[in-house]
Amino acid sequence: MVSPIFIIAGSLGGAFLLGLLRDPWRGASYVISLLVLTFTTWLAGSWLWALSSGAVTPVEILTAGTQPPFAVNLRLGIAEAAMVLLINLTGLLSALYLKDTLFKQGRRAMAVLLIFSMALSGIVMTRDLFNLFVFFELTVISTGGLILLSRDPRALAAGFKYLVASQVVSILMLVGIIFAYHATGSLNLDDMAAASAALLRGGALAFFLVFIAVVAELKVFPANGWALDIYESAHPAFSALVSAAAGSASLVAIDKLLQIGGPAWMDVASIIGIVSFVGANLFALAQRVDRRLLGYSSVAQIGLILFVVGQQDILGERYLFVAGGVLLAHAVGKAGLFWLSGLVAGRDLTAWSALRGNPLLLFAFASFLALLIGLPPFPGFYAKWELVHAIAAHDHLLELALLLFGALVEAGYLYRWFGYAIKREIDHEPIAPSLYKRAVVCVAVLAGWLLAYVWGELSPHDNLLHAVPVLFALAFLALEWLPARVKNALAIAGLLGWFAFSYPAYDPLQLIFALIVLAGGALILLASFHSDGRRLGFYPSAMLMYAGLAMLIVAEDSFNFFAAWESLTIGSYFLILRGRQSEPHALSYLVFSLGGAFLILAGFALAAQGNVQFLLVSLAEVAEPLAPWVFALLAVGFMTKTAAIGLHIWLPGAHAEAETDVSPMVSGILLKAGLFGLFMLLMTMGRQELYGVDLAHVMMWIGALSALLGNLMAAFQEDAKRLLAYSSIGQMGYALFGLAMMNHLGWLMALMFVINHYIYKSMLFLSVGGVAKRTGTRAMYQMGGLITLMPLSFIAVLIGIIAMSGVPPLSGFGGRWIFYNAIMTSEYRLPMILIFVSGPIAFLYLFRLIHSIFLGQLKDEHRRVKEAPFWLVLPQMIYVVCLLVFALAPGLALRRVDAYISNFLPQGALSWEGLTITSEFGYWSPVSIMLIVGVIFVVIFAWLLFVNRRAQKVKQFNIVFAAERPYRPETTHYAWNFYAPYKKALGFLAWPVFERFWAAVTDLLHTLAELLRRIYTGNGQVYAIHLLAFVVVVYLLKEGL
Amino acid sequence: MQFEWIMVPYSLLTLFIVVNYGLLLTALMQKIGARVGRRHGIPIWQNYVDLIKNYGIRSSITHGVMFYLGPVFRLTGGVGLLLFVPTLYGSEMFSNLSFAGDLILALYFIFFGSLGMALGAGESGHPHSAIGVSRGLSQVTTAELPFALAVFAIALQYQTLSVTEIVAAQQGSVWNWTLFTNPLAVAAAMLSFLGSMMRPPFDVVLAPQEIPIGPPTEYHSSYLALMQTNRVIFPIAKIVVYMNLFFGGAATWPVFFLKVFLIYFFSLFVGVVFPRFRVEQSVRWFLVWALPLGIAAILVV
Repeated sequence: MVSPIFIIAGSLGGAFLLGLLRDPWRGASYVISLLVLTFTTWLAGSWLWALSSGAVTPVEILTAGTQPPFAVNLRLGIAEAAMVLLINLTGLLSALYLKDTLFKQGRRAMAVLLIFSMALSGIVMTRDLFNLFVFFELTVISTGGLILLSRDPRALAAGFKYLVASQVVSILMLVGIIFAYHATGSLNLDDMAAASAALLRGGALAFFLVFIAVVAELKVFPANGWALDIYESAHPAFSALVSAAAGSASLVAIDKLLQIGGPAWMDVASIIGIVSFVGANLFALAQRVDRRLLGYSSVAQIGLILFVVGQQDILGERYLFVAGGVLLAHAVGKAGLFWLSGLVAGRDLTAWSALRGNPLLLFAFASFLALLIGLPPFPGFYAKWELVHAIAAHDHLLELALLLFGALVEAGYLYRWFGYAIKREIDHEPIAPSLYKRAVVCVAVLAGWLLAYVWGELSPHDNLLHAVPVLFALAFLALEWLPARVKNALAIAGLLGWFAFSYPAYDPLQLIFALIVLAGGALILLASFHSDGRRLGFYPSAMLMYAGLAMLIVAEDSFNFFAAWESLTIGSYFLILRGRQSEPHALSYLVFSLGGAFLILAGFALAAQGNVQFLLVSLAEVAEPLAPWVFALLAVGFMTKTAAIGLHIWLPGAHAEAETDVSPMVSGILLKAGLFGLFMLLMTMGRQELYGVDLAHVMMWIGALSALLGNLMAAFQEDAKRLLAYSSIGQMGYALFGLAMMNHLGWLMALMFVINHYIYKSMLFLSVGGVAKRTGTRAMYQMGGLITLMPLSFIAVLIGIIAMSGVPPLSGFGGRWIFYNAIMTSEYRLPMILIFVSGPIAFLYLFRLIHSIFLGQLKDEHRRVKEAPFWLVLPQMIYVVCLLVFALAPGLALRRVDAYISNFLPQGALSWEGLTITSEFGYWSPVSIMLIVGVIFVVIFAWLLFVNRRAQKVKQFNIVFAAERPYRPETTHYAWNFYAPYKKALGFLAWPVFERFWAAVTDLLHTLAELLRRIYTGNGQVYAIHLLAFVVVVYLLKEGL
Repeated sequence: MQFEWIMVPYSLLTLFIVVNYGLLLTALMQKIGARVGRRHGIPIWQNYVDLIKNYGIRSSITHGVMFYLGPVFRLTGGVGLLLFVPTLYGSEMFSNLSFAGDLILALYFIFFGSLGMALGAGESGHPHSAIGVSRGLSQVTTAELPFALAVFAIALQYQTLSVTEIVAAQQGSVWNWTLFTNPLAVAAAMLSFLGSMMRPPFDVVLAPQEIPIGPPTEYHSSYLALMQTNRVIFPIAKIVVYMNLFFGGAATWPVFFLKVFLIYFFSLFVGVVFPRFRVEQSVRWFLVWALPLGIAAILVV
């Protein structure tokens, strides 16, 4: 093997060689630079390969032929090799990216670039404190030079501020080194670590100075104004280097120092790290400029890694896996985003809409964001999983909360940005055509996915990139060139195929959910045949959601459950974002969902107590006093998905603004994920008490309130899809209520709602979507009288509302009947009252829905409206049949589940003898009811036909109008504010209290960020004072602690 | 219990008796109401005349399929409700078709007719119909509430949802009636009853004295006849439920006639004394006065 010393020697030699060339030989200089960087990259890569395959052991390189501490020594272990590879690869890619600039600036700039990557490699490898200082100085000098590569006039000022700050840092460091040397008599880091007790006792200040200098090099919040200016004004390729390479190198340096500092200083690093993570993310909320936002995000990410570095004592042998996962994900993601920003002309976040014309770059953008946030299957996901488990196991709850809060804020602003790119008006300036710049971005994407695979392999869990459903979803990325109809057929085949394949393994409960997700999903996809073109992005997103759902149902341990949960969240987010007006709603969906997901993560982590492979059934064994907290965290997480009241504000917009065939997916199917989670939770953990309060009782109240307020708000909507969306909140409230009753029939009722809600809500969303498509509006009062023009849609809505209202003989009645039987044995009676109140309110919105759209007065502009497209009507008709079948024979689906629930709650099972379903209290015979009602109806109908067979069909305005005449359909159609008196009486209950609450929370965060970010005045002296103040404050806090 | 063919003629017999009694009873109530207002009132057989006349009218119009079916839904709702509940306690003959479902079936089937009717009225395109439906639905959301709570309370009290068993539990003595064993529930239910009888103070939905308004605005001839038929069946069907749940049921027809009359009379009595509420007033009234009774009923059981 070639000695790693050549990584340094090669770069240095290359830089000297460049000095010998003539200035006009730019091509040759550039080739030499590239060759050097390729060589060092290859060398680092070969060492990494050899070290990780175990072919060689970590090497110690002695210089000057003498043993340390008399000469400098370097070390290359697996972590160092990975870092050096990262640094040199980023250098190489940035050099490629910078081709034009380097050609313009000439060999000097190229030499500085080589020195820069050499210095960073040196920081990683050296084991000598003073040598570390030297390499830091080299970094500073080369940074100063490289900042000037930018065409931005502010770069000069930024560079100057940087030099001011660096000098402060250097002085601190140098003074520290001198005293540390005095205390230990050695400059070798290993010697110092051995003598750390002496150093920390006598020379605590010395260590502190060195430590804080390296921390400052990390550009931690809030002493980092100069760094932010660099990120904003430097060339993006250099910002990529600073963020990915220099940041990583400084982190390695901190890690080395902490070998000396020990646990006490690890805590300091942790605190600085987490403050940096939260603070920088919070400030980033207020940013409108892409590169400055990326700068804040870099600061936050490096803070996070610093936090991980500080937690190495509790991470133990998993430290490298966690730190590496977060660091590499950050490096690749951030470098990728900086490179991408070089392709976008405008600097405002909305300018990234220019990417929309290029699916590949858009995919890159999405991948980089997922890398940064740590979504599955990327390394950050595996790393955060273990990190959270470790800190939860050690009861570092405040850190856990801050970590999750920071991550949520980060996801919020990053996905807001993504929303801009997808939804804002396309920027008039196109993206830069440069091919090699795009190639660099693509390499970063590849690296990201490669890391995802590697981390999946390294993790103790199943590799998510081996999961068939995920692969199936990802395969659609490669199939994007196919027409939408072909992809749709493939998707349907995939869903049904997976269902058939997994069928034997399902238990009855899983089977019900699998039927809805997979078979039901395929049914809804029939409606997607209506879309033509290629429908870019639809199928990967939809299939990712279905993959997540399919994996959720069968997940056995918490990791797989959570990974599936995140996948379905992300898939559905992309899906919802496709709607025309859905940008803010998709974001609010994502933020709430991720917030819920983080609570679930925290719940699992608390329950697992450090065991990263935690079986879901083991939730039953979680003991007091932890159990109720775990229960509460998980329950609130799941209730975010079911849009329980208070956490519901994302739902109406997200469901209403989604595309016609997406609304039924996210309403009919996706909401059930939350219910599935709650089922899982209640089956394993049962009842829990927190401070003497039965949590199931609390859930009952939440369910009842959701039912009441959801229904009430639905009654006041003018927009048909919003009405249906609010009604989902109510319906999920019923299901939640049923679950929380914790008795046999309550659970059965919840399942009945799962099935029923899937069928009728999917059907109604499709019909209403079809009508909206034809009429061009979703406002019900603008429709009217469409019954004769769209009879099939009418039938679907009619059957749907009868079923949903619970009126016999359709299947909704079964749900109500089971509900009444269930509440007979419930311990709590007060929450029932809310359910009783909410029941009849459903009639209000259901009638309004059908009346305002299909009955009443037909508008002139709709006289030529046609029935909804075939592919939208077909699934509706299938649903009608399903509803009728399920109404007649609910036992088909429920009988086995009834028996299955008896395993958990044996009391109160139903008897399914013959045609009659009997409970402890009452009985019900669906077939008889249907027949009796049918016979009576037919007889009376026949009688009416007999006495009134020659009724004459009259025109629209031929109505009794008390000496007036109808003026026009618009003024005759009674539809707008349909329940005005009711609103007068009870409208106050529908005041948007929760919307205002959450709006106030987000406003507060934004205002705070906007206000506090003003500490960054842009003045170099102020920044220097920040730095000194930071040093002093940390010192005082550390010594005061 | 299973279906037997003999149930069909038995049920038809029940229906026949109830229709005739209903025709006479509603006319009688009209008459009493008129006398309170110092008017002479209609002859007792007036309903027969109206019904025959309306069924006989041959000229008629339709606004569409739902319009045509609306009255069919309405009457099906009334007849169904009547037949799903046993009319006479202890009589196999007049147990009707109650094998199909229990109290909950009756409770929810009440809405079947109203919903179908509302749809039919909606298709007529008449704004007054829609306004009537809007008022009716608004009012029913809170008017039915105390009744639902009362039903829950007595289901808890008797630990069953079967109407027959609830009646059985009240036999023996007048003091066994729910009226005395659970007066709160009965009080709540009776207030609710006022809201569903389309009499003052809760009759703004139909507004029978004014210019055409309410769901039936566009209905005429045989449609109206079907609705009139329902208007004599449905209140009695509903009263049968009340009678069975709260007033010990009836084992013979004379007792049945008496109890139905008295329960019906209660709504008339209140109606002639109090003026009409607006919808928002009645919504609030039920929430403020009737709902607490219902809540108290389920809490004390």
